[in-house]
Amino acid sequence: MTSIPEFMTTKHRECDELFTEAEAAVAKVDWSLALTKWQSFAVELSKHFSQEEDILFPKFEQATGMTSGPTQVMRMEHQQIRALVQDLDNALAAQNKDEYLGLSETLMVMMQQHNMKEEMMLYPMMEKNVADGEQIIAQFQAS
Amino acid sequence: MNINGLSFNALPPIDLPFRFFITAPIFIILCAFLILFSGETLWVSRWQPSMLALTHGFTLGFLTMVMMGALLQLLPVIGGVGIARPRLVVSVCHSTLIIGILCLMANFIWPSKLLTISSLIFLVCSIGVYILTFTWVLVKKLSQGDSIIGFRLAMSALFIVLLLGVGLLSQSIGFLSVNSIGKMLTNSHALFGLVGWGSLLIISVSFQVISMFHVAPSFPKLISRYLPSSLFFLLIFSIFQPVFVVPFIILIHGVFALSLLLVISKRKRKIPDSTIRFWQLAALTLIVLNIFYFTPDKFLPSFIRQQKTLLITAVYLYFYLVAVIQGMLLKILPFLSYTHLQQKCLVNFSAMQTIPHMHKFLNKKHGQWLFYLHFMTGIVLFYTLVIPSTYWLLSLLLLIEFSWLLYLMIKVMRLYFLTLTKINLSVNE
Repeated sequence: MTSIPEFMTTKHRECDELFTEAEAAVAKVDWSLALTKWQSFAVELSKHFSQEEDILFPKFEQATGMTSGPTQVMRMEHQQIRALVQDLDNALAAQNKDEYLGLSETLMVMMQQHNMKEEMMLYPMMEKNVADGEQIIAQFQAS
Repeated sequence: MNINGLSFNALPPIDLPFRFFITAPIFIILCAFLILFSGETLWVSRWQPSMLALTHGFTLGFLTMVMMGALLQLLPVIGGVGIARPRLVVSVCHSTLIIGILCLMANFIWPSKLLTISSLIFLVCSIGVYILTFTWVLVKKLSQGDSIIGFRLAMSALFIVLLLGVGLLSQSIGFLSVNSIGKMLTNSHALFGLVGWGSLLIISVSFQVISMFHVAPSFPKLISRYLPSSLFFLLIFSIFQPVFVVPFIILIHGVFALSLLLVISKRKRKIPDSTIRFWQLAALTLIVLNIFYFTPDKFLPSFIRQQKTLLITAVYLYFYLVAVIQGMLLKILPFLSYTHLQQKCLVNFSAMQTIPHMHKFLNKKHGQWLFYLHFMTGIVLFYTLVIPSTYWLLSLLLLIEFSWLLYLMIKVMRLYFLTLTKINLSVNE
């Protein structure tokens, strides 16, 4: 059985990998490869956010009664990350390399910070408080 | 709404680290003028009064100044907790540090009891308050073990550096008599300062920031867990057995350099990046220093042999410590600016579109120029140590390099405050 921190952290790393592959393709001006990798990243990221916002965060809030604490901060950061993803979509569509690389550096830093908060604090707190964590992860793996 | 639910958000106000950062290059600009007006005599030996002023300008004025500012931000990011009453602590530490360093540098050139006592009071006040405040946080149980253990050791080393420095200054005005062991204390003071405070902190920070900024794997567990403590224990032993211990300290740096190169080579983000170049330069420097240190003296030309210790120290300081600090500044300045502005937009989402991206804060090409300037200045520093008549060129290059760094800092900070004004205006609308 896989724990919440283990599974969700692995997903962060998978997203990082797709993200860096897209960025490297833009740096080499290989726009078609960049688009493929970027789209895969965007799909993975969206799925990851949904798993958190629709299932894990409500479970955590229910278990702890903390509805305006860490999960609220994470939701707001998700919203900011989505806005940056939209900007990157536009830069990619316009094939604007400098704009893309400036935005990708920004998104990378933001994601890494966001991931650190989740991996260092929120996921361990979830593991402690969400009783059926391993079953939830098993469902994520099956989907 | 409680948006501070995560202690991770305990970032101190951005103007506090900025104060330290912006002061640091000004000290090197001051050092450039010191080199210009001291002439060739400065380079005769490490005991020259102007040379002592110069080394303290670099180590306290630049390295310690930046590191004290950077720790203010790194501790909440890596450890999850910030210091208490940061504005008060920084106001005391930053102002007294500037006065203390200026008094100390002046005291080396124009020795006087008044300047010695002033440097003692201001530096003890500044560094002492800083150590106390950070120790209060570092003794608590914090997350992210390996880097935090390194921070604790670096802070302990800074305390020892301060203690030895106070002892040496007190001796110079007759408060304390340590004549018989004066040279040993000076060597320990320098070793704890460069290796214990400077290098240990850099090594500990590298464990965290390289993987964070460059999507690289973690350092091998054996390195991140045992290398900082081994280095610290060797430093303690070096007080009693310097001749026996120093080669091991050099070797450990070689091990760190190899693992650093390995981790960097395995990074997933491989786009051109000046910070990575600074890290690579630092790692290659440590490997070359190992080769140089362990080469028997009979194989070295006499003009190099005569200056071996000074050359090793200068290269370690400039191509390793200062290089990493500059590389880190290239990342930290836009990163902090963006992060602070982004945090302000958490509850005001629409204002987020006013935040410039990281490369608008600091242009990548401008970072590259800093790297080239640093490399050229380092080569001329090496050359000047052997042939002092080129001191004027070194002075000129230092002036250009650190004026450029100062300009980059001012540019980032200006854009930060302009954007902040826009965000505040959009909140009030």
